[in-house]
Amino acid sequence: MPPPSRTLLAIAARERLQAATRRHFFRDCGVGVGKMALASLLLGGQPAPASDATRGELANPLAPKPPHYAPKARHVIYLFMAGAPSQLDLFDPKPTLSTYDGQPVPADVVKDQRYAFIRRDASLLAPRFRFSRHGQSGAELSEVLPHLAKVVDELAIVRSMHTDQFNHAPAQIFLNTGSPLPGRPSMGSWVTYGIGSEADNLPGFVVLSSGSGISGGAANWSSGFLPTAFEGVVFRSEGDPILNVSSPPGYDDELQRDSLDLVRSLNERHLGRVGDPEIAARIASYEMAYRMQSSAPELMDLAGESRETLELYGATPGRVSFANNCLLARRMVERGVRFVQLYHEGWDHHSDVEGGLRNQCGQTDRAAAALVMDLKRRGLLDDTLVVWGGEFGRTPMVESNATLGRKLGRDHHPQAFTMWLAGGGIKAGQTLGATDDLGFHVAERPVHVHDLQATILHLLGLDHERLTFRSQGRDFRLTDVHGRIVQELLA
Amino acid sequence: MIVRILLGAIVSASAAALAAAAEDGGRVDFNRDIRPILSNKCLACHGPDEAERQADLRLDRARDATADRGGYAAVVPGDPDASELIYRVESEEELEVMPPSSFGKTVTPEEAALLRRWIEQGAEYAEHWAYVPPARPTPPEVSDPSWPTNPIDRFILVRLESEGLSPAPEADRAALIRRVSLDLTGLPPTPEEVDAFLADQSADAYESLVDRLLASRSYGEHMARLWLDLARYADSAGYADDPARTIWAYRDWVIDAFNANMPFDQFTIEQLAGDLLPEPTESQLVATAFHRNTMTNSEGGTDDEEFRNAAIVDRVNTTMTVWMGTSIACAQCHSHKYDPIPQTDYFRLFAILNTTADADRRDEAPTLPLYTDEQKAHKADWEREAAELRATLSTPTPELLEAQAEWERSFPAEPEPDSEAAKAPEAIREILKIAPEDRDKDQASKLTEYYLSITPLLKAERERLAELERKLTPYTTVPIMQEQPERDRRTTRIQRRGNFRDLGEEVPPGVPAAFHNLPDGAQPDRLGLARWLVCEENPLTSRVVANRCWEQIFGRGLVSTSEEFGSQGELPTHPELLDWLATELVRSGWDLKAFFRLLVTSSTYRQSSRVTPELLERDPDNRLLARGPRFRLSAEMIRDQALFVSGLLSPRMHGPPVNPPRPQTGLNAAFGSAIDKPTSTGQDRYRRALYTEWRRTNPYPSMTTFDAPNREVCTVRRDRTNTPLQALVTLNDPVFVEASQALARRMVREGGDSTEGRARRGVRLCLGREPSEKEVAALVSLFQDARSDFADASDAATRMATDPLGPLPEGMDAAELAAWTVVGNVLLNLDEMFLKR
Repeated sequence: MPPPSRTLLAIAARERLQAATRRHFFRDCGVGVGKMALASLLLGGQPAPASDATRGELANPLAPKPPHYAPKARHVIYLFMAGAPSQLDLFDPKPTLSTYDGQPVPADVVKDQRYAFIRRDASLLAPRFRFSRHGQSGAELSEVLPHLAKVVDELAIVRSMHTDQFNHAPAQIFLNTGSPLPGRPSMGSWVTYGIGSEADNLPGFVVLSSGSGISGGAANWSSGFLPTAFEGVVFRSEGDPILNVSSPPGYDDELQRDSLDLVRSLNERHLGRVGDPEIAARIASYEMAYRMQSSAPELMDLAGESRETLELYGATPGRVSFANNCLLARRMVERGVRFVQLYHEGWDHHSDVEGGLRNQCGQTDRAAAALVMDLKRRGLLDDTLVVWGGEFGRTPMVESNATLGRKLGRDHHPQAFTMWLAGGGIKAGQTLGATDDLGFHVAERPVHVHDLQATILHLLGLDHERLTFRSQGRDFRLTDVHGRIVQELLA
Repeated sequence: MIVRILLGAIVSASAAALAAAAEDGGRVDFNRDIRPILSNKCLACHGPDEAERQADLRLDRARDATADRGGYAAVVPGDPDASELIYRVESEEELEVMPPSSFGKTVTPEEAALLRRWIEQGAEYAEHWAYVPPARPTPPEVSDPSWPTNPIDRFILVRLESEGLSPAPEADRAALIRRVSLDLTGLPPTPEEVDAFLADQSADAYESLVDRLLASRSYGEHMARLWLDLARYADSAGYADDPARTIWAYRDWVIDAFNANMPFDQFTIEQLAGDLLPEPTESQLVATAFHRNTMTNSEGGTDDEEFRNAAIVDRVNTTMTVWMGTSIACAQCHSHKYDPIPQTDYFRLFAILNTTADADRRDEAPTLPLYTDEQKAHKADWEREAAELRATLSTPTPELLEAQAEWERSFPAEPEPDSEAAKAPEAIREILKIAPEDRDKDQASKLTEYYLSITPLLKAERERLAELERKLTPYTTVPIMQEQPERDRRTTRIQRRGNFRDLGEEVPPGVPAAFHNLPDGAQPDRLGLARWLVCEENPLTSRVVANRCWEQIFGRGLVSTSEEFGSQGELPTHPELLDWLATELVRSGWDLKAFFRLLVTSSTYRQSSRVTPELLERDPDNRLLARGPRFRLSAEMIRDQALFVSGLLSPRMHGPPVNPPRPQTGLNAAFGSAIDKPTSTGQDRYRRALYTEWRRTNPYPSMTTFDAPNREVCTVRRDRTNTPLQALVTLNDPVFVEASQALARRMVREGGDSTEGRARRGVRLCLGREPSEKEVAALVSLFQDARSDFADASDAATRMATDPLGPLPEGMDAAELAAWTVVGNVLLNLDEMFLKR
């Protein structure tokens, strides 16, 4: 926590501003109270304005809105393992692969599936690690996930995920937006559009990144045709956490407050002359920006976290890491942020899947498990949904290519992969679905990407068929025209 | 919690108003009252899409809806009680009611009543308004003939009168010049331009101003910005790696086309099919880059054919959206559910666009190299000379062979490191070890070839050739459209469910059957398609273009869904005006400058934008136009304006994209290449935003914050949001801080010696008007407070005044400039800066 004096100051300043803002609106604006009431009624009472013409012009589009029905989760922390981790070496053990290690995959299994790099008759590759059962639930996990093993009873592991896409960028965009081509709104945008955010002084949809860059780039957190206010705000790992949240060099707080007060009073005068309520909205935006200038640095400052907590995550203040991001995600949820998405890129193991996984699990296992543990002990797990997974899976077949210098890797595999979910209305302590003996196809309880999306929205109290937005004459949804809630996952 | 305010329209309110007119006992209008109900609630299952049609019932056409279904009919004209449609929508039985509860939408009692009255009145169907070519209406008579300046105003006034409203008075002249300058050039007026306009007493002062603005070079830059959203122009190829793409020559073509006032029909034809015109000019080929702005996926392991197909899909969709305001995208996978566009028609258009040579290649082939006039003048000579030099450099003369023998003899067995001999490749050194008589022919010729490439005897020729090759390098290249040679031209097959690997029957190229035919003599190719889009019979293009221009000036289209004119779109607020404008645009020979002149010289445009609470309550969106337009500037305008008023903006036009200061991300793209680019230096730091490098996966942050799209796909209409992140940009972004610093120096330099004079100058530069005494006093007071703060903090003062702009000008005081920078920052953050007045 920050020094008390500063907190008190911030609270005092905020209360003063809120009072002033309210006073201002009701006395000076020249905008009738009836109009104001109408506005808040429409904003508050209409979770998903279907009309296109209402887009984009609301003063605080992120204000909380009631969901379609009672939600199980109020926040989402989505750990996006970009590059696609190998399910066969982490979550889905296949002894058969050991038996047939080095033998070509049967043609009738592959059928007409295309591959990015390998040939259709590539040899099978045995799992790289030992698996054992953990917890009350007896879920099987690979030896490179020792920390996750400790919270395994909190998880629902889904071994039967499948997708339509087998290149990174389209598959990531598909997972986030329901369409492989850029241009549609992402999950976080849909959610904040549907129910707003509870964070007063922070964005409602935040994106954090560790590892290398993200294949799909900004399309992954784009608001698509929704108003840009619902776009994911990327928190930066260096410099200002939110772009431009610091005052210019040489500007002290008092002076900044003085000039903001002047901007405000000149804008108020202007409002009196012109009567356009957008001016009032701009005044409000400036006050929110001012508050963000202290709330964002306070959020990012891990110095107040106990040594025990830092160790739990493996976080080091001041360093960019997945561990720090996990801890920040918890802090954001505590402050009401609706949807936090953490990207960790580095799972694209076309070569040396064994070494690659050791490395990536070394960077992520402790922190991901710590996040679940920490949320739980703080009572936050009940209404925070945690999701872990990549954009597709990896092949049971080996990828080797002398020209590209690749050996003992695995290629992209859209037919089957594993994800896990925890908290926020998820029925914990289960492993759902199964793949065939080779881990090639889903054999039981297939869960398509659109089903996952429908389920996430459902947990937040949103009906994926009713959460629509009209663009170019069509009512679009996150789940396109597909998606069924995975009932087995619900607590 | 911040008090929430509704700023924009709640469109349902006005739709309800329209419906109310019908409820008063007036005649039900099929297009206005009934089509939206059918389209939203019925046609998904009872519409044009055969595959989804239920119960073999079709409600979008009269003959199907009224057909006998074995003793009953869905619609019995004149008899609602005998109409199954009414029975079903009014039913409360779970098994009978339509639409079924699983559909998620219900027909409201008001809608059911409308349907009932429509059937009572005879159940007349009408063709969707936008598919009927516009007929030129006569501008209506108005009761106050003194108000209208041109026919636009008559249409507007008649509607205002019928609503019991009257127009606002004309805006004051300072507001007017700022408004029209921003609208036509994207830049505000200078104080001197404001003075000149205020002083101009001539009757046509305003018209002369408009003509001056239309003739300025900034006009083309501003118009290009809007077109580039439609063209999804970017300086990168998109998808995972998002590599840089060189295509800026197209952006410059657009600027020049607007400045030259190229008629819109020609503008259309050159971009879609410039290469198919007889003996196309270089400029006409550059224009075809319009459709080369589609994304290219160079991620490892992708199937080029998959993403080539995605690009063609994008071209079909973009073409129909940009010109005909019709989203046809759904017909890629299945027949359209609301409009008469079967999947076959989609692939007929696809077939037209499917035969170009580009194929999702990383090198963007085919591309066109571009040469300067000087290069063009000498190119033939240089190429001839270079060919001669290449011949000389590869021809062993007896003299050269002798020199080679000498070189071989003197070649050391173990070359000293870094010596000339050490540079010889391993293979050559191996050959040298073989005795000359034992070398085979291949080895001998390799050796001679190598010797000729290093011999000092040909040094001058080699250097001249290198120089010529440099001179012959194009200054840029641009991807273009090029038809495949006839013999290997692709055929097109229907793609089932839009899957490019699941092919159905072959489809010949053509235009959708529901619309007019190709013009006489036009082939079903891109050129034919382009002519079809701008021919007289096309019911949509002129309306769509007129509406987009209207939206640009008035903030909202007469059809508010400017991207959708089909049956799912909104109805026009002023249908006759829209048709008059559409026909006027065509009548003028698609003269866009004349069209914008018409819009901005109307009395409608010139109204004051001041609004009373009553009017705001009545018409929050200003759909009726009882006041002048007032809405937020675009991302580009906000940046350009800050640089312009502070005197930093570079007037340089055209050329490669630039990189103004932007925050470093420290990130790499997915496959390794660094995202961060070095900041441009000199003038290129301060160019108009139009020239900022546009990377799709890493857009320029402040542009995104002010609602610029990623340009991955065609964007017809940007949002105008109002968020705290925007405040952070204009308060703290280094670009705006630098502008505040430059503005500070300008206020001191140009504002005379008094503090008041300097503050006044600042307001005039930024807002284009005289400040009130209260405003001056407030600014002066902030200045004085700030200066006394900075007086004791010289380090902070210096940073505030110079970082990042640069050292203090000679004789200027850091505390003084720092304090003016604070004032400048305030001015750049006033609401008046962000909106036109």
